Amino acid sequence: MIEGPMPKNEGAWQPWPFSAQAVSAAAAALLLVAPVSEARAQEPIKIGVLLPLSGNFAVPGQQTLAGLKMYFDEVGNKAGGIPLEILVEDTQTKPDVAVAKARKLVERDGAQVLTGVVGSGESFAINDYSRQNKVPLVISGDAGQDELTLPGPIANPYLVRVTMSGRTATAAAADWAYKKGWRKAAMIGTDYAGGVDTNFEFARAFCRLGGKVIQAQWPAFGTADFGPYLPAVDRSADALFVFEPGADGLRFLRQYVDFGLQGKMPVFDIWGTIVFEPNLTQTGDAALGMYSSEFYTPLLKTPENERFVAEFRKRMNGELPEHEAPNGYVGAHAIVDAIAAVKGDFSDKTKFMAALKAVHFPSPKGEIKLDKYGMAIQSMFIREVQKVDGSLGNVPIATYRDVDQFWPFTEAEYESYQLDYTHGKDAVTDCSKLLAKK
Amino acid sequence: MTFRAGVLVATVLVLALLLVLPELLRPYYVGLATRMLIFALFAMSLDLILGYTGLVSLGHAAYFGIAAYAIALLVVRAGLPSGVAFVLALAVAALTGALFAPFALRGRGSSFLMITFALAQVLWSVAFGWRSLTNGDDGIPGVPRPDFGISLDSTQSFYYFVLIVVGLAALLLAAIVTSPFGRALKGIRESESRMQALGYDVWRHQFVAFVLAASFAGLAGALYACFNHFVGPEYLFVIQSAEALIMVILGGAGTLLGPAIGAALIVFLEDFVSSMTEHWVMVLGIIYVLVTLWAPRGLVGIVLDYCGRRLQ
Amino acid sequence: MIWLIHILNGVAYGMLLFLLAAGLSLIYGLMKILNLTHGSFYLVGGYLGLTVVRATGSFALGLVVAALAVALVGAAIERFFLRRFHLEELPQALLTFGFLFIFADLSLWVWGGDAQMLAVPGPFARSLSVGSFAYPVYRLFLIAVGLAIATLLWWFQEHTRLGTMLRAGVDDAEIARGLGINVSFLFTLVFALGAALAALGGVLAGPVLSLYPGADLDTLILAFVVVIVGGLGSLRGALAGSLLVGILDDFGKAFFPKFALFTVFVPMAVILVARPSGLFGRR
Repeated sequence: MIEGPMPKNEGAWQPWPFSAQAVSAAAAALLLVAPVSEARAQEPIKIGVLLPLSGNFAVPGQQTLAGLKMYFDEVGNKAGGIPLEILVEDTQTKPDVAVAKARKLVERDGAQVLTGVVGSGESFAINDYSRQNKVPLVISGDAGQDELTLPGPIANPYLVRVTMSGRTATAAAADWAYKKGWRKAAMIGTDYAGGVDTNFEFARAFCRLGGKVIQAQWPAFGTADFGPYLPAVDRSADALFVFEPGADGLRFLRQYVDFGLQGKMPVFDIWGTIVFEPNLTQTGDAALGMYSSEFYTPLLKTPENERFVAEFRKRMNGELPEHEAPNGYVGAHAIVDAIAAVKGDFSDKTKFMAALKAVHFPSPKGEIKLDKYGMAIQSMFIREVQKVDGSLGNVPIATYRDVDQFWPFTEAEYESYQLDYTHGKDAVTDCSKLLAKK
Repeated sequence: MTFRAGVLVATVLVLALLLVLPELLRPYYVGLATRMLIFALFAMSLDLILGYTGLVSLGHAAYFGIAAYAIALLVVRAGLPSGVAFVLALAVAALTGALFAPFALRGRGSSFLMITFALAQVLWSVAFGWRSLTNGDDGIPGVPRPDFGISLDSTQSFYYFVLIVVGLAALLLAAIVTSPFGRALKGIRESESRMQALGYDVWRHQFVAFVLAASFAGLAGALYACFNHFVGPEYLFVIQSAEALIMVILGGAGTLLGPAIGAALIVFLEDFVSSMTEHWVMVLGIIYVLVTLWAPRGLVGIVLDYCGRRLQ
Repeated sequence: MIWLIHILNGVAYGMLLFLLAAGLSLIYGLMKILNLTHGSFYLVGGYLGLTVVRATGSFALGLVVAALAVALVGAAIERFFLRRFHLEELPQALLTFGFLFIFADLSLWVWGGDAQMLAVPGPFARSLSVGSFAYPVYRLFLIAVGLAIATLLWWFQEHTRLGTMLRAGVDDAEIARGLGINVSFLFTLVFALGAALAALGGVLAGPVLSLYPGADLDTLILAFVVVIVGGLGSLRGALAGSLLVGILDDFGKAFFPKFALFTVFVPMAVILVARPSGLFGRR
């Protein structure tokens, strides 16, 4: 599954089996019946987008929205010929507002499908709403809580997620780290649901391979000063694994240099939140040589991605897309394909959900398909910060394909473990506890 | 028509409107109206200690949030029947109020403000950090509606439930503030020393007001958790307390009706404006500034001033 | 050796907090206004400084422009809005909250949602070797600046006519007015000064804390904690409070990581129980 540097072309995937001539002949024939179909013009299908557009998560929200819009515009806001109407609501990153907006989109505005969703609290709340009201939900935002696509009490047959599941990047990180020869890991992770989930899963995956986390520090969300944590990092570790999102990541990057840690040991940024493109431009060479694992990097050299990045830069003043943008793009793609497959007929929701789960297409972030729980199966990339054309960028140096939400475990093995992250924060340095079975 | 008769007619009309609302509006708006009622209760509860007793609290969300968490934990974790849990949640809010009041009442004015803020933030830190109990910032989903024999799962039925509960609570609050106890509170608001000199046990009055306010806030919190089927640490955060404060000030502190209207207005505005523009935060800010300039005693305050002048 | 690092961190962080809290405390001390827009002054000041630094490369110029611009805005807010509600805490709260909202949205609009970090000014962009560790020189600079500003403010309060008028105005505005002191002008000046201090805090904190949407609220909360601990209206309290909170926060996080979220709120609650008006507050 692991490969070397990304191949130039993943193999063009032909979506359209017919030649151009066949298509124009068919189109000419259709024109003869056009007046009839126009008389019964289709009501646009409404797609409700729930994203934080203000407050602390405004940027992921805006990026996801940009990606969504890009795809919808590309297909002319139509799915299989049926017009689409995109309605956007700001969830303000508050779960109660998110649910209120979900209701607004579905009950007042008649949205047939909901998409977006970034924050963890709002993801659980919207998931609940979707399940109770049988509204298809396509998560195209950062909401990475593993439970959403796992069998369990909150499992929702009306949900699919094209973005990520918290643990997949950690599994890739652990595997690559072990292959690199690292056995002892020091960890720093933000003390909130996402951070604990990420680092816990990393610790477990690493233990299973034969490594061990020897130290774990958990700065609070919004830590301004990493002064207490950085000098305390255990220097005997082979590498430092970090998960620090948002502004915390930016501060970490600066302070890691300030406190003399640069060059002392390799640093692996599990979800790439520290070596995130806007941070790279502000911190000089601080991030050079840092590794990260992610399902995307703007430097991916595939035709889909190069086209995507070029178009994105045109729309957004030359900025590079962050990973939320291809996610939004893929979400829109999945929705459009599914609507086209059922010809816009939402009377049988299970049929629509089946169509959603059956989507399969190439995308800027690689080949996308979904597992039986609606979770994406995609590629994971290990990246390294290198100088590219004079500025720093996340260059892909290894690829893992067909990574599903359980990898490297099988579903059965994954579910056989006793601890989960909600109770496992203190066990990350204890391999026997992490690998204990039920 | 006399002023009194006018008020009576207006009240009857409003009540009638509230009762037939679900027939007139689409389910989404009925849900919005439910939210407006819940926050009206929350704001009125704050008005009891703020407007009537003169104690400005920046930690009122503590009682709102703890009742919400109590009901969620009692049902989702402990498996208690939802009706029982609902009642217990109120008790939890009252108890928290009783526990916090002696600390808060050690200060007056700005130190009271700070202490109430501090206490609420400690509670928030617990909700956020004690992940094995509260799920941390993920929150607790799956909170069911209270089961008192009839199902409250539909938007309509829950609306009527909330209407009845909030209506009764409002009547109770009105009775409290017009009673001798309420009048004593107003006296304490004007001058503690004078009331003390007159023989009133000022501290006890303030304590009782505090606990009552906490209980009503808890009622609102429990209702909100059931409405959303969800509770998260935001219910306890200072922003929630500050919002309540704004609702009271906007509507008019010390009028009970004012905060209710302020709350309804703000809930409505937030929903309405945020669908119109992504700069809804700025629009709201401008509205707050303008309201302060034109109605420094709150919206109901201007009405009262106007009526006061007319009566002269 | 690690203890020295922790102490230095605590003091440096404390100095940052001082810059944030001093203005809030001053404004409250004189005018009894709890300025909820204080965090916005910090953030907007920081962003303005960032723009100037990126355009001109001069950190000093950034500091000056930020302080002056925000001081002007602060003066305008006091003169045209707050002044109408002297001693009316509720309208003041709603007003300053309204401005908080306005500035929050404005800064998101102008500077976007990504976290922005100011570049450390040239001469301080290195770290000193402290045993096997390194310590950033910039933080030492922060400690020096914080102490300098604290000294300047103290000298201003104790040894200048303006400072004396300020103390008189705090004690009794009526009498001060009767003595011919232009209390209105004093109010505007102090509000502007408080705003300027917050803006300076924003620019100086920029290289360490970074600027991001939500920093206004985070800062306001922290400043609140400091003035609660130190006591509203007291400069000495603001200094003592910020150092205490800074050091407790650092040690708390390093040695009691389980309670990281509490290291700020628990000392505050404990002190309030013992002394409800803070260490040096007046009651």
